[in-house]
Amino acid sequence: MIYLELFLSFLLIGFTSFGGMSMVPLINDQMLSHGWMTASEVADIVAIAEMTPGPLGINCATFAGARTAGISGALVASFGVLVPTLTLAMLAAVFLTKFKESRLMNHALYGIRPVCIGMIVAVMVQQSMNNYAGALLGFLSWPALVIGLVCLLVLLRFKWSVPKTILLAAALGLLLCGLEAAGPLPI
Amino acid sequence: MTKQQWRRALPIFLTFLKFGCFTFGGGWNIIAQIQKEYVDKKHWITDEELLDFTSVGRSIPGIMVGNASVLFGYQAAGVPGALAALLGIVIPPVLIMLGVVYVYDLVKDNLYVARAMIGVRAAVVPIIFSAMMKLFKSGIKDLFCGLIAVGAFVLCLFTNLSNVLIVLLGAVAGLAWQEVRYRRDLS
Repeated sequence: MIYLELFLSFLLIGFTSFGGMSMVPLINDQMLSHGWMTASEVADIVAIAEMTPGPLGINCATFAGARTAGISGALVASFGVLVPTLTLAMLAAVFLTKFKESRLMNHALYGIRPVCIGMIVAVMVQQSMNNYAGALLGFLSWPALVIGLVCLLVLLRFKWSVPKTILLAAALGLLLCGLEAAGPLPI
Repeated sequence: MTKQQWRRALPIFLTFLKFGCFTFGGGWNIIAQIQKEYVDKKHWITDEELLDFTSVGRSIPGIMVGNASVLFGYQAAGVPGALAALLGIVIPPVLIMLGVVYVYDLVKDNLYVARAMIGVRAAVVPIIFSAMMKLFKSGIKDLFCGLIAVGAFVLCLFTNLSNVLIVLLGAVAGLAWQEVRYRRDLS
């Protein structure tokens, strides 16, 4: 029964990973051992997941499910990968609300909040190394750098929303990368 | 589940549907989108609570974006709110991926898609940064918090420690430090 297999497979992926790229080895393992995909197809999905909005886990589940068992396969696989969210995160939500006023909870959160800031900065560093890689000075991409600065300006100075900023960034990407491809900078 | 919660669930669903279309870059920018909409504009939650959702969501298995959405939705409108937020964030990527499966080969190596994506990726770090700027003040209240943040950053970037462990370390550090101060003040 392909649906049950898909569901269990992505349930396992969901419970044993913590989002983002940490899912890739698990997905790779499951897809290859079931013969649902080849290694290069898995690599392709990761690339496509980067191009489309949404969490990597959902993107992979949808893609793998659809390739193996059509639209219902996609839904079953996506549901599987969401089970931890529907159970554990829901429990955590109840727990967090219930003990919000407790002293110990507040003391723990006092230590957890700065961890979150540290993690966000770490993600920014990792993302920067991927997103601004190019040829300028041997390691930077000038279109990406210019777009990054423009986005920073519209976000902080003009308080643009995230969707608006992303659309602007996509348009600038088309324009500036077109220019870059047309020839070297006139300076 | 009260009537008021169900009434609140629909607008949450619609807003998260919009968020779901623009969660590029590992989904961290969902934090920026929630902050703009529900901290700055609607004042449903505080920066502190958003930090809690993020770090708790990150340390539960499964999809971090989904977990954070459930934590937020539950706080805003109970179980209906949690389900509304999760459905909203998940439906757009599932639909988009289903579309991509059928035009996979067309999109995969398309030059213009690639250029637009360079722009979108370049926007991810500024978007996360704009959220971090505001979260900084509520997460880091004193020198001790600053030290925790630096520690978390280093552990995240330079070791293979899992995020769960790092969040737990932060919780233990916060508990220990605050309990000692609390007891000292009592005596």
